[in-house]
Amino acid sequence: MKHTHKTCGSPEHLLHRRLFLQGTMAASAASVASFNGLFSVPALADETKRRGKKCILLWLCGAPSQFETWDPKPGTPFSGPFGAIPTNLPGVQISSLMPKCAGIMDKLAVIRSMSTEPGEHFQGIDVLTRGDKPRQPFVRPILGSVVAEQLGHLDSPVPQFILLDPCPEGNEFKGFKAGNWAGWLGAQYGPVRAGGEYSIPNLNKLDTISDIDHQDREALRSFFSKKYENDRRSQAAGSLNAAFDRVKGLMSCAPLFDLNSLPEADRQRYGAGAFAQHALQARHLIENGSTFVMVANGMPWDNHVFQHEMHQMLVPELDNVLYQLVTDLEDRGMLEDTLVIAMGEFGRSPWLNAARGRDHYPKAWSLAMAGGGIRGGVVHGATDPLGHEVAEDAVDNRQLFATIFAALGIDPHEEYDLPDLPTFSRVEDGVAPIEQLLV
Amino acid sequence: MLTSCRYLLGMFLASSVLMMHASRADQPSEGSGDLFPVAKINDFVSQAWEERGVQPAARCDDRQFVRRVYLDLAGRVPTIEESDAFANDTQTDKRAALVDRLLASEDYPQHFADLFDALLMGRTNEGKYKQRANSGWRKYLEDVFRNNRPWDEVAAEVLLARPEDKAKRGAVWFLYERNDQHQAIAEAVAPAFFGIRIECAQCHDHMVVNEIEQAHYWGLVAFFNRSKNAKTKEGLRVAESAIGGFSDFANLEGDSTPNLLTFLGASTVEEPRPAGDAKQEDADDLYVATSAEPANRIPKFSRRQRFVEDVLRDHPLLARSMVNRLWAIMLGRGIVHPFDEMDSVHPPSHPELLDWLATEFAESNYDIRSLVRSLALSDAYQLDSRKPMGVDDPASFAWYLERRLTGEQLARSIQLIAEGKFTNDAELIKQFRQQISDVLPDETVVGVDDTLFLTNGPGLDNYLRSSCDKAGLLAELNGSESHRQRAERLFQSVFLRAPDSDETEAVVDYLEARNDDLPAALQQVLWSMINSAEFQFNH
Repeated sequence: MKHTHKTCGSPEHLLHRRLFLQGTMAASAASVASFNGLFSVPALADETKRRGKKCILLWLCGAPSQFETWDPKPGTPFSGPFGAIPTNLPGVQISSLMPKCAGIMDKLAVIRSMSTEPGEHFQGIDVLTRGDKPRQPFVRPILGSVVAEQLGHLDSPVPQFILLDPCPEGNEFKGFKAGNWAGWLGAQYGPVRAGGEYSIPNLNKLDTISDIDHQDREALRSFFSKKYENDRRSQAAGSLNAAFDRVKGLMSCAPLFDLNSLPEADRQRYGAGAFAQHALQARHLIENGSTFVMVANGMPWDNHVFQHEMHQMLVPELDNVLYQLVTDLEDRGMLEDTLVIAMGEFGRSPWLNAARGRDHYPKAWSLAMAGGGIRGGVVHGATDPLGHEVAEDAVDNRQLFATIFAALGIDPHEEYDLPDLPTFSRVEDGVAPIEQLLV
Repeated sequence: MLTSCRYLLGMFLASSVLMMHASRADQPSEGSGDLFPVAKINDFVSQAWEERGVQPAARCDDRQFVRRVYLDLAGRVPTIEESDAFANDTQTDKRAALVDRLLASEDYPQHFADLFDALLMGRTNEGKYKQRANSGWRKYLEDVFRNNRPWDEVAAEVLLARPEDKAKRGAVWFLYERNDQHQAIAEAVAPAFFGIRIECAQCHDHMVVNEIEQAHYWGLVAFFNRSKNAKTKEGLRVAESAIGGFSDFANLEGDSTPNLLTFLGASTVEEPRPAGDAKQEDADDLYVATSAEPANRIPKFSRRQRFVEDVLRDHPLLARSMVNRLWAIMLGRGIVHPFDEMDSVHPPSHPELLDWLATEFAESNYDIRSLVRSLALSDAYQLDSRKPMGVDDPASFAWYLERRLTGEQLARSIQLIAEGKFTNDAELIKQFRQQISDVLPDETVVGVDDTLFLTNGPGLDNYLRSSCDKAGLLAELNGSESHRQRAERLFQSVFLRAPDSDETEAVVDYLEARNDDLPAALQQVLWSMINSAEFQFNH
């Protein structure tokens, strides 16, 4: 027997009217209203516009070479085959692999003096995504969870922290991904994972159930379940009901996760490949109400072998993606409120190894940011002529995170007291943000 | 604070070891009603309420109790008939009688095998579940609970992994499935049998838990690092070499230390080590003479055997961790929480109670069933699940802590409601254990991936649709006389209670609106009920 409904005869469903009148569905009315359509509900678009700051993290996993990006050392023994080119900031040069970014350097802030501790990927990833070393028994929340908790709207149908990632398998990042991302903030601040080859499982309604039955049964479920929650003031039931509420939101914005729904011209402009396409998708998600999107991509930057060849492919892609993202956000009037960060977990060694690769180098490396409270046209810090050491204004992970938080309007030093544990600050020891980088 | 905890734990370990060696000899082999006196458990808990000025919740009524105890002991909800029979029973000791009946039922070993499979082995894919069944591991676990085998014997069999008896062949699988990954074995042994996590000590002494040292991590690895999986004529074996396995480990400063056979709370097992760079030669005379094939020969100095005999046997954490875990299974969280981090950073909420239970458990010959019985009959277990006003600390055990049903509990209960019976290897069980994988989570939080699965996953939908076509609840409801009757019957089946008037009205209104396709509509109501909190939680 099949139970798929033909268009239902009765236009009025008593249940809907009843439950609407009782107010049990009022909170989710917006998402129900948008249930069948593409994501274009004016009310939500307005809400998005009046919201505060947002952030896109281009996570360059594996760690790019600073010499082939932001801190070229032309004419030195290990400078590699790529030259340096002038930028639209007088006196500032970057790698010739990045001509597009050279034209918007006035919008970027580059730190050339990153100096951090961990030299292995797992620890490096942990420190540069969470802001500090582990301090057991805390599990420090990852940047995206903090931003989602501080700036996000849990009641928004659009997930506040999204991880776009086509590559869940096969490298050190895998162990990290399996970890506890939201830490002590709680699971509700963890990312919704999506992207590339795999989408969010079970996001689409089954064909075997009609729209109307789908809505009715959830309305009934919510009615029974909220009654239980209210009668008992049950937190457990609260979390179940909140998760079912998020289902409605997620399903209503399912098209947001469909790359194919984006304009072909945009897709070409960003370029083929998961990283570029996900960066475009990140923009789209931020435009439509997400607060934090992390674009991760396996760990392609870990070039211990044939580093020049690999960077010859990877850097122009990064150059284009960053350019498109920053100019798109600016064209839309969103750059001021949207912080874009492009970084990995450390840099690469100033010398080449026997396989013509550069090895891990946390002592002196570079990263770039733009928008969202960060001042454009700034190059902060410098390395010595061979790039072995930081020559001025060394920046560690704590200063970096204090700066990121300050730019987003989040108090870097807020304290947390967890029962029976030492006090924990968002950024520990009162480390100050870098004023020069803040608007 | 930390220093004093460490000191206390050290004292505890030392004194308990002595105590247990002294008291072990003359133990009864069968659990008796006098073990773990319920009144004594109640005294410990109520004294703590008094000291903390806590007013506990009222005693739960029969309807709450019967659902709760079926879920906790049998891994499923009761049927309407079972629930009614209990409610109408007028015997004064009917709760004890029900607990005894459930502990003697076949559902009990099935449910506890589910729990301990997840706790000892971790969740896995369906291919691996098949291997766990084929290797005899699943059957071994069921037998442990069906025959109420002493936990210390079980632990020794599993870690020695040399089954002499064909019926116990599955005992090898704990080590075997870990496929010669000796660090993974050590990291699994510590929480499974000692209730502690040692992963942090791989690279350095534990940062916070002072008593867990890097030497313990590598010491535990060393006990297993001469082991190797082998397929022999007698079946799967974990062979052991008589030589090798000497290594050094380095701390973060680069200082190197020889890796000795040592573990927390036990003295280092002495083992002759080859001098300097002398190379050891493998030779027959290093093994106990045996006619078995090479992979089955037993080294004269067997590290695994020494671990079982010198470290595991009578280790105070063996009893203590099992008691704490059984408490967590029955009461919703451990006396030490999380239940598998029983270290100086996680002090017990009721230290004297935990000490007493651990001692009694060891003295009872590690009698699991008797302890579970006493916990189920304790006052704390029988409290109402509504949190009393003014009490917030779940560690006070002043109300029955709501918990999510496990994947297996959910899938069994759904089958029971829809068909009146259930199958343990049904497709629905597989679907649910793949999605809802947590057992005894630290916190009761439901993720959006789970609710997406329940809403849009094909597993539950296929099951409910196909159950419309079978004889069972939905067919019966279809033939009922009125929507009101249908509503009543649904509430009795799923929630084991009559609906309130607004609930009846909501169902009746909905069914009236969907008169065009009653079977589909009934399916939706059933879906809405099994996905609401009243069904999804044990309360």
